[in-house]
Amino acid sequence: MSIVSGRRGAGSSACLPRRRSGRPRPWLWFAPVVVLLLTVTLYPTALVVWISVQKTRYYAIEGFVGLANYAAVLSSAEFLQLSRNSLIYVLSTLAVVLPVGLVSALLMQSLGRLGIALRVALLVPWTLSMAVVGVFWLWILNPSYGLIRFGLESIGVEPGLMLGDPGLALWLMVLVTAWWSFSYAMVMMSAAVQSVPRELHEAVSIDGGGRFASFVHVTWPHIAPTLGSTALALSIVYLTLITLIIVLTGGGPIGTTSTWSFAVFRSTVQSVDISPAAVLSVVVLVVNLALGYGYIRWTGRVSA
Amino acid sequence: MNTRGRMFSATAVVTLTALVLLPVVWALSTSFKNEVDAVEYPPSFIAAHATISNYVRVFTEPNFLHQLSNSVIYSVGAVLLALAVSVLAGYAASRFEFRGKDALMLVILGTSMVPSVALLVPTYIMLRQLGLLDSVVVIIVISAARLAPQTVWFMKNFIDAVPIDIEEAAMIDGASRPQIVGRLVLPLIRPGIAATAILGLITVWNDYITVVVFAPDLGRRTLQVALVNQVFDSMGISWSYLMAFAIVSCLPVVLLFIASQRWFISGLTAGSVKG
Repeated sequence: MSIVSGRRGAGSSACLPRRRSGRPRPWLWFAPVVVLLLTVTLYPTALVVWISVQKTRYYAIEGFVGLANYAAVLSSAEFLQLSRNSLIYVLSTLAVVLPVGLVSALLMQSLGRLGIALRVALLVPWTLSMAVVGVFWLWILNPSYGLIRFGLESIGVEPGLMLGDPGLALWLMVLVTAWWSFSYAMVMMSAAVQSVPRELHEAVSIDGGGRFASFVHVTWPHIAPTLGSTALALSIVYLTLITLIIVLTGGGPIGTTSTWSFAVFRSTVQSVDISPAAVLSVVVLVVNLALGYGYIRWTGRVSA
Repeated sequence: MNTRGRMFSATAVVTLTALVLLPVVWALSTSFKNEVDAVEYPPSFIAAHATISNYVRVFTEPNFLHQLSNSVIYSVGAVLLALAVSVLAGYAASRFEFRGKDALMLVILGTSMVPSVALLVPTYIMLRQLGLLDSVVVIIVISAARLAPQTVWFMKNFIDAVPIDIEEAAMIDGASRPQIVGRLVLPLIRPGIAATAILGLITVWNDYITVVVFAPDLGRRTLQVALVNQVFDSMGISWSYLMAFAIVSCLPVVLLFIASQRWFISGLTAGSVKG
C-alpha cells in the first residue's frame, strides 16, 4: 500500500485540479492487478491450450502433434464415462437444489425474525470446506456404524455399501452436494423474492386473484432470471468441484464418481503422461467459459 | 398471510433446519465420545462417557499449531494482497475515463470464469520448472489472483456509490489522489471491504486443492490438508478424533460467518440478483 501512504503533502498543490486532478495515469493503478492476473491466470490458460497439442512424456514436452491428443481423449471410453458422470452430477444436483432453495425462500418470507435466525443456521453448511463436508458425511454414511445405516435398518431397508456401491455412489454425492449448497440458492431466491414490489401482489388480490395467481403472474416473472443465474453459478461450482469427491469416494467405485475435474486433479498429482490431462483441462475451461459468459449476459453485468 | 399459513411455514422450515443441521450435530456428538463409544451400534446421540480428550489430542498434536498458522497466513495474506491490488484498480475504474477501460474490466471479469482446476496442469509445470513448489508466497499469490477479479468489481461498485463531490472538495484543498483514496474513500467503503474480506477469508481457508498440489511439503500443510490426510491414514480412522479435528478446522470460519452473517449474505448476493 505504498502508493496510499506516500507523497504526503509535498508538491501536491503544484498540480491543482482543473476538472479532474492533474492528468491521472489509470494504467498505473491497474498495473498490479493486471500483472497478477497475467502471470497466475492468463499465461497458464494459454499454456494449457499449448500443452494440449503437444506430445508429452510425464511432464516433459516432446513436440507438436496437432489435435491427436484430442482425438485420443475424446474418443476414449473413459472420457465418455467422465462426461456422463459430470453431466448427471451437475444436472441432478441442480434438480434438487433449485426447487428446495426456492420453496424454502418462499416459506421463509412470512417468518420474520424466526426466518432470519433459521437462515443463518441453514447457511452453516455453505461456509464449511469440502473437506469438512466430506468428513462429516463419510461418517454419517459409514456402512458399518453410520447414522444413515441405522435409520434405514430401523425402517427395514438394507443399506448395503452406500458410497462403496457403484449404483449408488454418484447419487449420494448429489445428496451431499445438495446439502452443502442449497442454502446458496435459498439466499439468492430470498433476495429476488424480496425485490418484488408489494403493490403488484396487492393489484392481483384486488383483481380477485389468489395466492397461486399472485405467484404465477407476479413472483415468478420477477424471480425467474435469478433462478437462471443461480443455476449457472452453481453449475460452475459443481463442475469444478474436486475435494468432496477425493474425500467421499476417490472417484470410485470403479470410476462411477469420477468427473472431468477430478480426473484432471488425479492425473496432475500422479505424474502420468500430462497431455491427456491438459485436454480435459481445456474441456473444463471451454464449458466453464460458456457457462460464465451466459452468467454475465444473464445477470446483465454487461449490456447486450 | 394467515396464522395457519404461518404455522405451516414455520413447521416446515424448522423441520428442514433440523434435518440440515443433523450431520453437524452428529459430528459434534461423536467428537465428545471415546473411540469405543463412537463406533457403538446402534448409535446413541448422547455419549455414555462424555470426554474432551479428542479435542485435547487435536490441540496437543505436534503439527497442529504449524498447520493452523499456515491456514491463517495463506488466507490473511491472500485477502490483503487481493484487496490492495483491487482497491487501486477499482478506484481507477470508478473515477477515471480512458480508452480501453470497458475492455479491460471485461477481461478482468473474464478471468474469474477460468476455473482453477483448468490451470492445475500448466501451473504445476511452471512452478516445477522454476523450483517454486512448496512456496508460501506462491500459494498466497495464486489465492489472491483467484479472489482479485471479483474484488476489483466489488471495489468499483462500492466506490461508484461514494459521491464524487467530496473528492473534488478535498482536491481543491490540495489533497493528492493517494491521500484521497486512503483517508476519504477507504473509510467510506469499509462495510463493503469487510464483506469482501470475509468471503475471501472463508474461500482461501477452505481451499484444499491449491495447497495440496502446489505445496505438498509437510511443513506447508494447512488444517484442511491435514484433515483430508487423516481420512487416508493407513493406521485406520479414529472417528471421534477425526470429527474433533474437522470441527476445530472449520470453527474459525463458522464463527466468522455467524459474527458477520449480514455482511456475508450481502456479499453473496451482490451483483447476482438482476434488479
